Amino acid sequence: MADGTDFYEVLGVPRDADAEQIQRAYRTLARRHHPDVNKSPGAEDRFKKINEAYAVLSDPKSRRKYDRFGEAWRQVPDDYEQAGARAGARAGGGGAGFGSFGGFGGPREYSSRAGGGIDVEDLLESLYGRRSGRARGYGPSPGADTEAEITISVEDAYHGVRRRITLPDPNGQPRQYDVNIPAGVTEGQRIRLAGQGSSGAGGGPPGDLYLVVHLAPHPRYHVEGRDIIVDLPVAPWEAALGATAPLETPGGAVQVRVPTGSSCGRRLRLRGRGLPNPRGNPGDLFVTVKIVVPTRLPEEERRLFEQLAKVSSFEPRGAS
Amino acid sequence: MTYALVRPRYLSLDAFAAAAGLHPELVARLAALGLLEPSVDARGIRWFRAADLAVAARIHRLHTGLPLNYAAIGVVLDLLDRIDELEATLRRRSWISTD
Repeated sequence: MADGTDFYEVLGVPRDADAEQIQRAYRTLARRHHPDVNKSPGAEDRFKKINEAYAVLSDPKSRRKYDRFGEAWRQVPDDYEQAGARAGARAGGGGAGFGSFGGFGGPREYSSRAGGGIDVEDLLESLYGRRSGRARGYGPSPGADTEAEITISVEDAYHGVRRRITLPDPNGQPRQYDVNIPAGVTEGQRIRLAGQGSSGAGGGPPGDLYLVVHLAPHPRYHVEGRDIIVDLPVAPWEAALGATAPLETPGGAVQVRVPTGSSCGRRLRLRGRGLPNPRGNPGDLFVTVKIVVPTRLPEEERRLFEQLAKVSSFEPRGAS
Repeated sequence: MTYALVRPRYLSLDAFAAAAGLHPELVARLAALGLLEPSVDARGIRWFRAADLAVAARIHRLHTGLPLNYAAIGVVLDLLDRIDELEATLRRRSWISTD
């Protein structure tokens, strides 16, 4: 379990920490890394290690053993000091000796509660609890779902993509996942990798790993839901006279017909050219007309514009 | 808010307890505390949603892992749900502001 990890390091306490310090560190860490609170894929492993470390260090007897023998403390028989001390330590544990300690919940909790006032819940559970080896009356329970993020480009969202990502697995080891991201994912959509979440307790099925998709900001495409919005720069005369302009879209180049008299900001809709939808209608591609003018006009063009300005009766700011 | 698109599958108390690996008494107790919300039919029989098996597992993890009592778990469940909802909203909104 805790291969090469020092229990004191796991809890972040000095070796001479007192019981209160250890408990405080444990409580803080347990809150932070509980798999239902912390969804990152490595949290479960951390949580297990924290519990294991606390289970050992909170018990003066096993802590003494751990201090003396280090990692090999488990192999040391209980009665290395004096025989007979073990009976007391295990009495309240409901069969949850350290050998059968499994992931969730430390046996310490159980015995410390039993010492105080009687907890009806615990009483109920101990009455009805079946198989030994499980401290509480619960049977196998599925693991928590975990969540990680993945960022893909707009083009990849359009076409679908195969990605290889590395995440810590439930045991804290880096693991590679080959993920098929289907065509038509949208921002914030979750891709479910069944059974890749935290492992279940007591033989329960593992939870799922969810990958939350983020679309990387794109210099040209702006995505809203499944709709893609893109600027189409046109010359003033193209906007005035109408034109057909080539436009690069995630689905390939298209010819966009700019209607006669299109002002800046006019939106043209190319139906169904947005992100595809595996279950329904694809999004639309909205082309925003953007009139651009040359920063420096050659002499002749300048003359023509001046002539146009003289001739035109167009009043862009209304009649006022 | 999320709305179910398919008709949820319902389990009787005993079937739910068996599937969750809990004693029926404990399931009844969780329902009495409002941690599980069965629907009651005309005959007064409680029906548990199969989807709530995940909630039962979460209750179990919070109860043993932190440890929390069942009243506190109710608060935690509500808060976790709300955080999920807020995070989902945030994700949907984040791209609006990036451009």
